[in-house]
Formats: sequence, structure tokens, C-alpha cells
Amino acid sequence: MQTSPLKTLIAAVSLMAATHAHAEPQMATGQAMAWQCAPCHGVNGQEFSEAMPPLAGMPVKQFMDAMLAYREGTRPAVIMDRVARGFTDEELNAMAQWFAKQPIKPWEQTTLQESLSAQQAGAQAAGEKQ
Amino acid sequence: MSQFAQSLSNGKLGRRELIKRFGISAVAASGLFGASKNAYAKSAPHVVVLGGGVGGSTFAKYLRFADSDVKITIIEQYPEYITCLRSNDVIVGYHTLDELTFNLDTVQSKYQVNVIIDKAIGADFDKKTVTTAKGQVIAYDKLVVSPGIDFKFEDYEGHSKELAETKIFHGYKAGPQTLALREQLLSVPKGGTAIIAPPQNPFRCPPGPYERASFFAEYFQKHNPTAKVIVLDPKDRFTKDGPFKKAWERLYGYQTDNSLIEWVSGSDGGRVLSVDGKNNSVETMAGTFKADMINLIPNQRAGKLAQILGLTDASGWCPIDRFTFESSLQKEVYVLGDSTIADAMPKSGYSANSQAKVCAQAVADTLRDRPLTKSVYANVCYSLAGDNYGVSIAAIYEVRDGLIQPKGKSEGVSPITDKPAQPILEAVYQKNWQREFVKDVFS
Repeated sequence: MQTSPLKTLIAAVSLMAATHAHAEPQMATGQAMAWQCAPCHGVNGQEFSEAMPPLAGMPVKQFMDAMLAYREGTRPAVIMDRVARGFTDEELNAMAQWFAKQPIKPWEQTTLQESLSAQQAGAQAAGEKQ
Repeated sequence: MSQFAQSLSNGKLGRRELIKRFGISAVAASGLFGASKNAYAKSAPHVVVLGGGVGGSTFAKYLRFADSDVKITIIEQYPEYITCLRSNDVIVGYHTLDELTFNLDTVQSKYQVNVIIDKAIGADFDKKTVTTAKGQVIAYDKLVVSPGIDFKFEDYEGHSKELAETKIFHGYKAGPQTLALREQLLSVPKGGTAIIAPPQNPFRCPPGPYERASFFAEYFQKHNPTAKVIVLDPKDRFTKDGPFKKAWERLYGYQTDNSLIEWVSGSDGGRVLSVDGKNNSVETMAGTFKADMINLIPNQRAGKLAQILGLTDASGWCPIDRFTFESSLQKEVYVLGDSTIADAMPKSGYSANSQAKVCAQAVADTLRDRPLTKSVYANVCYSLAGDNYGVSIAAIYEVRDGLIQPKGKSEGVSPITDKPAQPILEAVYQKNWQREFVKDVFS
């Protein structure tokens, strides 16, 4: 298939425009990625009475060991092997740091203010300014 | 049907009922922020959300996480919301509709979100105002729309909105439609036939029709073993078709003479061309099929509000900026969920929830002139092929080459193995997921 020079130019210019509009950072924040885990693990990982384990307050090493083993296929999994393959080491570490700072108690018993402080502490631990 | 669902479907929900359920502040036309505990700075920007379903409610909650000093208002037509997710369970009696019914009380009180029960009917994008059915004009700094889907009845000769409300039900917006399908399923005579006709891509909840077919088969196996489900599909493939078909083989004798499920693909003429409501039959490329119940799930487009507001393109769906979900057609207007063109992300509740969180952070950052962070999305869809047999699809997503695409090697469906634990655990996780998901959205 031959591509016309004009088409190539238009594609290049629109790609540049797109890149320019979003000078994209290298990585999502730990908090933004951690929020994505809530539908299974509870709001901010604070679900303590289900089959899927709580992530709030989990030691960083425990989180990293589990996720790396899921990703490398050395730990039996139902779906977590698939999920883990979506993240780099740095991303997993940012999430681990953030979750470690969330309170070890059910979401229903956590006030908004308490959570906002914990989320801020998590972002700082992950090396992100808030 | 609960009395409440009935009054909803009749449109008879009076002021008294609203006050009873939501408190006087939610009903008062004046004092928009009277209910708020927060003393916002006068300059605090106002973010207005149209639609208090999965996308809208999640957005409001997570915007509060991202910014403690922004004014947030949800305008939602109905005081209660029935989740489409798990509504297949209601058809076969694994859940009641009441168990799938939620409201915005916690979002209002815990996250200081103003909730207005009213119907948004238009917007003035120059003046940045929204108009409601009760005549309120509400100013916004950023507008977020999560309008769901609309059906293309016109794609089928003989079909109409009226027929879809009286006989040929879709059951693809939870509520009276769900209960009507349940009634029809329970009335299928011994040895009878139920037809499920899924739509063309793209559509809400891609595994929905196939989970439903599985449930109908399971119901027949227990209560009406000579009855049969016929799936008339316009497509040759469907989501998780590998694990679904394996489950059908294991559970319902799929592809044997006594199979409880027959699936007619698009290539085999499965596409429905016309509907005959009187004779309870459909015409397809493969011929005419008559049945005791026909569950035609029509082709779809973005919800009516998206169409009215001019947020749809020629495809019928809403084009968006992949990083923020801001409409490509209207600045400062964001669109979430099923109505958007989100590339590889399926039209699922999980997707809408995921997009709402990324959008909330982007709106907060934009309002405060902070640089945007990288967008990462997720989707996990668990379906049941039987009460104790789950199948799943999962992926993490990022924006690459201008499109939302699976990140790393995350995309995949349930492996087909001989380990009995896999589908059983997936069923356990499915039920776990449902309970957690609605908490993430509504509390």
C-alpha cells in the first residue's frame, strides 16, 4: 500500500499536536493506579471481610513479592497474574507505598478527613507531591 | 416489582415520596448548597454531573478525594438507581431487584455532594448552564455527563419502543424490563423455546447476553429440562467465547443432540432482520424462528441526553480525549461510561468506574492548573456461566498511539484448564466483586 506524502504529513502533524497537548509524564501516580483496585479490594483497599484480600496497610515488601510472583507466573492465580502483567516494577512500588499508608479498618468506619490525610501520606510515600 | 419500581415506571413519584426518601433539602428548588456541611470558598469552582449511575456517582466521590474544596452537584432523574450489573441474576431468581437498588444518600452526606433529583433537558455551552425539567438553570465550571445507552429499534423491521415495552423485552436497562423477562422465563411451557438475540458491536456489557443464555439453560435444566435456549447472533465471535462455550459443553451438553443451548452465528444467518410481535417470531438470514419468549437486545448508541447535548458523532457514540474523557466536541464537558468511544475498553460498569476516577483527577488538576498525570485504566468483567461457574476477562489500559490499549501483557480471559477450582473461584470472586463494586460506587 502506498501512503501519500500529504497523508503522512497530516498524520505527523496531528500526532505532534496530540503529543504537545499532553506532555505526558512517564508514570501514573501510585494513588491513581491504586484507586483502580477498589472494585475488588474495597475503597482504598479497605475491605476486610471478603475473599479478595485487603491491601490497606499491607507492608510494601508483601505487596511487591505477591505482585512480582503473580507477574512472573510463580504464584497460582485466578486473575491476578493478568492484572500484574499490566504494571512495571516502578508502578508496583508506587502502589505498594501508597497502600501501606492506608488505615487498617473498614471503609465504612473511616471518615473522609481521615482518608484524605492517609491518601496524602500515601502520595508522599510514593514520592509524589500533593 | 416493588411499589417503588412501579411508581418509577408509571412516572408517579410525588414530592412526598421524594422527601421521604431524600430529605427536604434534596427536593427544595432553592438553596442549592443548603444541605452542604462544607463552607466552600466563594471562588470554589462548581462541577455539575448529569447522571447519578455508576459513572456519575463514582466521579463525584473521587473528585472529592482529588479536591476537598470544589463544589459538586449531581443532577439525577430518579431518586433510586437499579444496577444493570447482576440484573441477569434477578431474571432467574439469584437476586431480587431490591438488592440491586441504590441511592445517592452516602455520596451526598459523606462526600458533601449536592444531589438534585430532576431531569437535565439541555445545556447552554456558551453560558455554561444546564436546564432541568423543573425549570432550574444551574451554572457550572465543568460539566460531566454519564448518559448510558439508547436502543436502535429501527434496525429491526416490525420492532418499536412500544413493542419493547409490552412483549419483546430487552432487559438491558434494569427495572421493570428485568422483571418482565423473569415472568416470561417462568411461563415458558414444557419443551418450549426461549430466543436471545444479542446486538451488533459495540454494546453495553458484552458478556451480558451470553451469561443470560447460560442462566436460562441452567434454569431450564432444573425446572424445564426439555426446553431450549436459542441464541441468534449477528456476530461470529463474542467476548470470552472460549471459556463460555467450554462451560456450556461441561454444564449444558453444548453441541450434543440434547444441548440446552444452541448458538447461531452471524455467518450461519443468526442476524435478526425483523420481528413479529403477534406471532412471537423473528426472521433471520437463516429463516424464521418462533419461540415462547423473545429477548431481543437491540443495537445501541449513546444515551438520549448525549444526543440532545450534541456530544455524539456520526457513529452515534461520544468521541473523547483519551487522557481525560473531555468531549472532543465540547470544551469543559466530560463524558463517561458506555456512551463513549473508549477503543479497547468494553462498555462495562468497571470501565465507567475506572474512567470516572481518571477523569476526576484530570478535572481537579485542570481546575487547579496542575499538570496532568498519566492515565491508567482497568477493567475486570466476571460473568457466571452457572451459579457456581465463573469466567472472566481482565486488562489494564493506557493511551498508546492515540488509542486506549491494553497495557503490558495484561489482557486475557480465563484459562481453560482441568482444574475444577478455577471456575469455582471465579464464581466466588464474581460475587465478592459485585458487593465491593457497588460500595465503591455508592458508599
